[in-house]
Amino acid sequence: MVGNPATVPVRELDDPDPEVVREDHPYPFAIQEDISMSHSVENTPVVEMRSIKKNFAAVQALRGVDLALHHNEVLGLVGDNAAGKSTLMKVLSGAYHPDEGQILIEGKQVHFSNPMDARRQGIEMVYQDYALANNLDVVANVFMGREAVQLSLGPIRVMDFWRMEQETKSVLDRLKINIPSVRQKVERLSGGQRQAVAIARATAFDAKVIIMDEPTAALSVAAIEQVLELVRELKAQGASIIIISHRLEDIYQVSDRMIVLRQGRKVSDMSIEGDIHDFRERVVAYMIGARDDFADNTAT
Amino acid sequence: MSFINEARKLLSENIRDYAMFVALFVIIGIFTVTTDGLFISSRNIVNLVNQTGYIAVLAVGMTLVIVIRHIDLSVGFLAGFLGAIAAIAMTSWGLPAYLAILLVLGFGILAGLLTSTLVAELGIPAFVATLAGWLGYRGALQLATRATGTIIISDEGFVAIGNGFIPDIGDIGILPETHKITLLLGLLAIILFVSGEIMARGRMREQGFEVLSTPIFVLKQVFVTALIGVIAWILAGYQGLSWTAVIILIVVLFYHFITTRTVLGRHIYAVGGNPEAAELSGISVKRITHVVFASMGMLAALSGILFAARLRSATTTAGTLFELDAIAAAFVGGVSAAGGVGNVVGSLIGALIMASLTNGMNLMQIDISYQYIVRALVLAAAVIFDVTTRRKGLIKG
Repeated sequence: MVGNPATVPVRELDDPDPEVVREDHPYPFAIQEDISMSHSVENTPVVEMRSIKKNFAAVQALRGVDLALHHNEVLGLVGDNAAGKSTLMKVLSGAYHPDEGQILIEGKQVHFSNPMDARRQGIEMVYQDYALANNLDVVANVFMGREAVQLSLGPIRVMDFWRMEQETKSVLDRLKINIPSVRQKVERLSGGQRQAVAIARATAFDAKVIIMDEPTAALSVAAIEQVLELVRELKAQGASIIIISHRLEDIYQVSDRMIVLRQGRKVSDMSIEGDIHDFRERVVAYMIGARDDFADNTAT
Repeated sequence: MSFINEARKLLSENIRDYAMFVALFVIIGIFTVTTDGLFISSRNIVNLVNQTGYIAVLAVGMTLVIVIRHIDLSVGFLAGFLGAIAAIAMTSWGLPAYLAILLVLGFGILAGLLTSTLVAELGIPAFVATLAGWLGYRGALQLATRATGTIIISDEGFVAIGNGFIPDIGDIGILPETHKITLLLGLLAIILFVSGEIMARGRMREQGFEVLSTPIFVLKQVFVTALIGVIAWILAGYQGLSWTAVIILIVVLFYHFITTRTVLGRHIYAVGGNPEAAELSGISVKRITHVVFASMGMLAALSGILFAARLRSATTTAGTLFELDAIAAAFVGGVSAAGGVGNVVGSLIGALIMASLTNGMNLMQIDISYQYIVRALVLAAAVIFDVTTRRKGLIKG
């Protein structure tokens, strides 16, 4: 296990009583201690993206977008198709390299060469289509690519089943996710349960930021409520989340603040307030360009 | 949970695994009756195991290839070609048998890596890439054997791999006419298995896992003990455990361990289940593809060695259609063409089922044409069973 970055455990498992651990550290996403001393924790955004630009051939997908996500904040990200929201999140999760601009995590500039790199630095992504292996059980999916190892003989690394199972159970318990058995194959779970497993996986490894790309798009109404409840639970436990959704009511329900993108530019950055009808009207106006009065606009 | 309920639950959860064993037992039972016990005789069972060897090792490798959603059609002639290389290495180059074997296993790995490079790096569909391999290795086999025709292998050690038996202690007064070491090994296997099971159960119970209830657990131990005991007894009745059987056991146990216990095995199944998700999780799909095809190539070499050793020679047509027998064995053994599902023990059972059919029908002197049709029906039945049990188990998401 030593020297194997793929299997770094998140939380101490040696403690015999997980309840005690939870009381000492009520928030598993609690603020890291090693951030720079010059800023107070509250003022340094957990993620800051500065004037990100990204072109695909002649298409300017992102024309200088700023984004800041604060600790324990849920940030909604909306926009019409091709507004650039997915591109922006792919830049943040390491799938794309920005042509220009900077990414800072807790005040420190970072470069991601691939998604795994971003994951190691605490950026986790939850996908619309779950990105799970249906032939494997819940434990195997939560630990996919980061299996716990109990014995290593060169390329032969023997898995630590007990630890992975305990850890999975405690993550599911913590998030109040109800799945009959963690040894159940994912193909036997409902859509909502699968998305819950995907979210549990994103939170199981000391995530600083959880990006959810349309987490409710493939779900039934009941399952959507389940996932939104999970987002609220994560927020209550201290997580910082960016959620992309075309369902404005989802954003309205769970987010603290939202950013609207239009044609690769940020056209609005506002807190969530007012009743849902006004909110929707305002957002749609920004999305379709009927309203374009964002002061801090860095349009080119 | 009552005994009946638990048994029912186990059955419904593992029906696909159990069904294979049941099918094998039924086939053995039918042939035992129709051949007046000739089928189950020690000599025939040993023969059957040795006949299965070179297909079984291919089926093990093929299982993993199919699990990661590929196929390898080249392994039959690759096995034949590498068997010929082993023969040439010993007869013409004067290499000792062990060096010839190592050399050929190395060539097998290289051949596998060549395939995986085409598949993983250049994105060529495995079906096409290995079809090219099928043609190429067929040509290579003919070239290698053109000058000499069939190459006779005289090295006793090499030939023993396909024909020999493990040594036995001399006559000690008890159990004459039986192979005592084989019985002892059987006993050892039983002790290791049962004590391992008991320890694992205790440990799991300590850690709060759900374990089998005592009656079911005891029943399982009794069943496995009887199974190993009967097999050991039958083998001991002739000349004991053959070297081919030893090799099959080592290969299957090793691959079973790798696929069920290690990170590598987990990654292979993750890639088979959802390659995109695996890649996003930091698993290199390319690396897994290389590893799986390299292992397939090595097992093809082993298959070629077993076949050449069994025939005491390398022939110009060695390996013909091995690949299709291996693929059929894997599918009969519960591998799913959709990827991600199937295990090496199942494929061994699949290979034994297919070999038993051939062997049993030969003993019954059934026309070869009907033999093919019967085997076709068994393959189709296995896949139909697989598809229907899988569908029933699913809850719509």
